[in-house]
Amino acid sequence: MVLRVFRWAPGGAERYQEYPVTPRAGMTVLDALVEIQRGSDPTLAFRYACRVGMCGSCALVIDGRERWACRTLLAPLRRSLVTVRPLYHFPLIRDLVVDQEPFSRKMLAAGATFAPAEGLAAFAAVGRDTAERRRVDAAIECIGCGMCVSACTLVAHDERFPGPAALNRAFTLQLDSRDGGHAERGTRLRSEDALARCHGQAGCTAVCPMEISPTDSILRLRRRAILALF
Amino acid sequence: MLYSRPIMSGPRVLRRGWMTREGWRDTKAGLWAWLLQRAAAVALVVVIVLHLQNPFLRAVQAALLALVLLHGLLGVRAILLDLGLPVRWHRALFAGALGLGILLFAVVWSWRWY
Repeated sequence: MVLRVFRWAPGGAERYQEYPVTPRAGMTVLDALVEIQRGSDPTLAFRYACRVGMCGSCALVIDGRERWACRTLLAPLRRSLVTVRPLYHFPLIRDLVVDQEPFSRKMLAAGATFAPAEGLAAFAAVGRDTAERRRVDAAIECIGCGMCVSACTLVAHDERFPGPAALNRAFTLQLDSRDGGHAERGTRLRSEDALARCHGQAGCTAVCPMEISPTDSILRLRRRAILALF
Repeated sequence: MLYSRPIMSGPRVLRRGWMTREGWRDTKAGLWAWLLQRAAAVALVVVIVLHLQNPFLRAVQAALLALVLLHGLLGVRAILLDLGLPVRWHRALFAGALGLGILLFAVVWSWRWY
């Protein structure tokens, strides 16, 4: 098997470099990248942390699909040539490493951060078995890996579009009784470049490793925005 | 050779190269549903003009019926999802819209209207 890896460094040209890999049982794409870096090419740059599918920092585009490298086994890919690229729609730093700063910036721009309700002095919990919790349960496990932003076709065309992760986070906050930013966030969400821009292609939903559906969150926010008019 | 083009000047940002095989690999069903509906809308403009010029051309009639069904049924799919049908059904709704379109086309086209 050959790993065809995207290479780029500031000032240089984009290119692919091919590395022969002998897949072992249970070998992941991350294992292969580590082996290449420790063996044949110490200059290859990529990012990882937990190695066990928890942190999301090894998110890459593997064979045209967003996946986390530590959970992608080489054998089931069933290809002699596996292409490995960095995530789309993020600034490149080097090789497979991208800058996650726009991810956080768009979260802030969309108001996707918790704003404690005025007068809320004590720690307020939302009970596990409450209806309020159940309404957002499926959307709260985002690990911020950025795969949904990479898979979203609209992010590439509208710099102001917050992207699936930010809108999903905004959805959980709009339904959070402890949050005091509903009105301001609602105004941002109803603006020209937010909820209304999503084409509902569900690419984000298809690739989310946590099985969150940002598309569902966006559609729910849209329905709430429309119902609020009456 | 550039494998994908940067979004704008400044930091290098990659996006899918739609002119490359890699860019189209693993393209999601929702994208196809969206693209087909938009392509049908553009094609409808052309076919409606042709149909107004000569309403008796069978090929144009067939194209008009097919495109109206495709565009309309994919629109119904989008509306149903907007109204609250589970997003996890979107592939099934896409297949259903295509299947229903083919069925309706066959029924209408094979019917003896005269």
